[in-house]
Amino acid sequence: MTEPRVAEELKKMEGEYEPLLPVERKLIWYTFTTGVVLLAIFVLISRWFA
Amino acid sequence: MTNLLTTSNQPAAPSEGEALAIAQTRLNEDWLAVWIGLFVFALSLTLLFGIDLLGWTITTSVWTAPSKALAPASKFYAHLPASLSLIATYFFLLVVLLVSAKALRADLKRFAVGFTAIFIVSYACWFLGSWAYIAATPDKRPALKIAWSLNLTNESGFIIALLAGLIVGNFLPGVARALKEAVRPELYIKTAIVILGGFLGIAALEQRQLATSVIFRGICAIIEAYLIYWPIVYFISRRYFGFSREWAAPLASGISICGVSAAIATGSAIRARPVVPIMVSSLVVVFAVIELMVLPFAAQHFLYGQPLVAGAWMGLAVKTDGAAVASGAITDALIRAKALAATGVVYQAGWITGVSATVKVFIDVFIGVWAFILAWIWSAKIERRPGEKVRVVEIWQRFPKFILGYVATFLIVLAIGIAAPGLIPKVKASMAQANLFRSIFFLMTFFAIGVLSNFRKLWQEGIAKLAAVYVLCLFGYIIWVGLLISWLFFHGVLPPTLKG
Repeated sequence: MTEPRVAEELKKMEGEYEPLLPVERKLIWYTFTTGVVLLAIFVLISRWFA
Repeated sequence: MTNLLTTSNQPAAPSEGEALAIAQTRLNEDWLAVWIGLFVFALSLTLLFGIDLLGWTITTSVWTAPSKALAPASKFYAHLPASLSLIATYFFLLVVLLVSAKALRADLKRFAVGFTAIFIVSYACWFLGSWAYIAATPDKRPALKIAWSLNLTNESGFIIALLAGLIVGNFLPGVARALKEAVRPELYIKTAIVILGGFLGIAALEQRQLATSVIFRGICAIIEAYLIYWPIVYFISRRYFGFSREWAAPLASGISICGVSAAIATGSAIRARPVVPIMVSSLVVVFAVIELMVLPFAAQHFLYGQPLVAGAWMGLAVKTDGAAVASGAITDALIRAKALAATGVVYQAGWITGVSATVKVFIDVFIGVWAFILAWIWSAKIERRPGEKVRVVEIWQRFPKFILGYVATFLIVLAIGIAAPGLIPKVKASMAQANLFRSIFFLMTFFAIGVLSNFRKLWQEGIAKLAAVYVLCLFGYIIWVGLLISWLFFHGVLPPTLKG
């Protein structure tokens, strides 16, 4: 197997952009929102109970 | 990260077969770290039965006269010449690591040569870092009869070892090639972390409430790595830098979670070609070195009043286990020295390192779970593969096994202390002996990280665009959010003090 050079790989990506799929947008949005909500909850718990 | 990185004699991107071998090797290194760490831990515990099996280990004090710097650890071995103690320490580690090298199917002769050089250089760096004019804290200067010092503590030896490694890795390719077989920072740091578990067990025994609080806050803080870092880095890579999914997911994991392990687990979960996580891992380690050289000093300057915030920050911001825990160790030393100089407060050693390690270990625990979730999303939603199922057993397969060793040593010490409080002083003495080996494994980790960080080679590979994402996300987002969250969870939680 030939070893791909990263520079060539990256150049190839410029010409073949993969648009963000709706499922990717959901993944990003849900993950981030869950993180922020959990963060707020844990901060409160750590201040009140820990 | 062993073998994942570029030394001057290696291509930056290994072939598929090599990458699979690397994955296998990593698994073995995980288990080996557990066994080596437990072996040292068990030997040290013989002190509980009055048998001093590790007392001959070499120690280095802060020195003004080189001849008085080295000595055996235990008074029982005080008659032993320091040179013999040093040689005994070297041979002990050589034998233990040769057995490991055999298990890893390494070339034993090359490993022995490489290890010998690494040990000598690393310990020389430790020795140099213990020179009073570099290491002494202000309270020690009168006793050492010196008027000034850099106040860096003897942990400055870690930085010197890193610099020595960087010189070898970037300017002495022939030497780097000769050492390659023994340049295994992951093995060294994971062994050190297993031993560290016992040391933290002592800290937890002495300050149970504080230790419980630190563990709880450490668990809370890790959600950031997975849920707050990852989606933003993935989005930036995809939306603004045009990376394909195959590159963006391992890149996001590498930058957000725990560099090498996460990039490999994610790459495998989404079925990326092996070259992708390999290149990401290389980048992660290079930037971890930069963080390692900058963040502890920033933490010393700005966070000496909040030592545990600094410790958590190192665990969250510095990628790779080695660099994160190493940064914690340096920050520990620097902040304690600064707090003493500025406020006269002497914080107990080890708590900052302990917080960094705790945060990092909890982050590692979830890598398998995260990889499983990504594998499911990719196979079911993004790149649907009919009939393909993601197996739950993969969570265990990706679980970093050295954590079991860390938890075991921590719990064993805790259990002994709770069951027999009268034994605590002896357990403490045992862990102090084991800790000497932790320091040596730390040292070798620093040197090995330096050797593996070939900046020039990475640049030649055309990694600039990957580096651009890394710089933007790391310095524009991750470091600051990490600091904020460390502050939220650890602000006002202080380590125990010895005086002041």
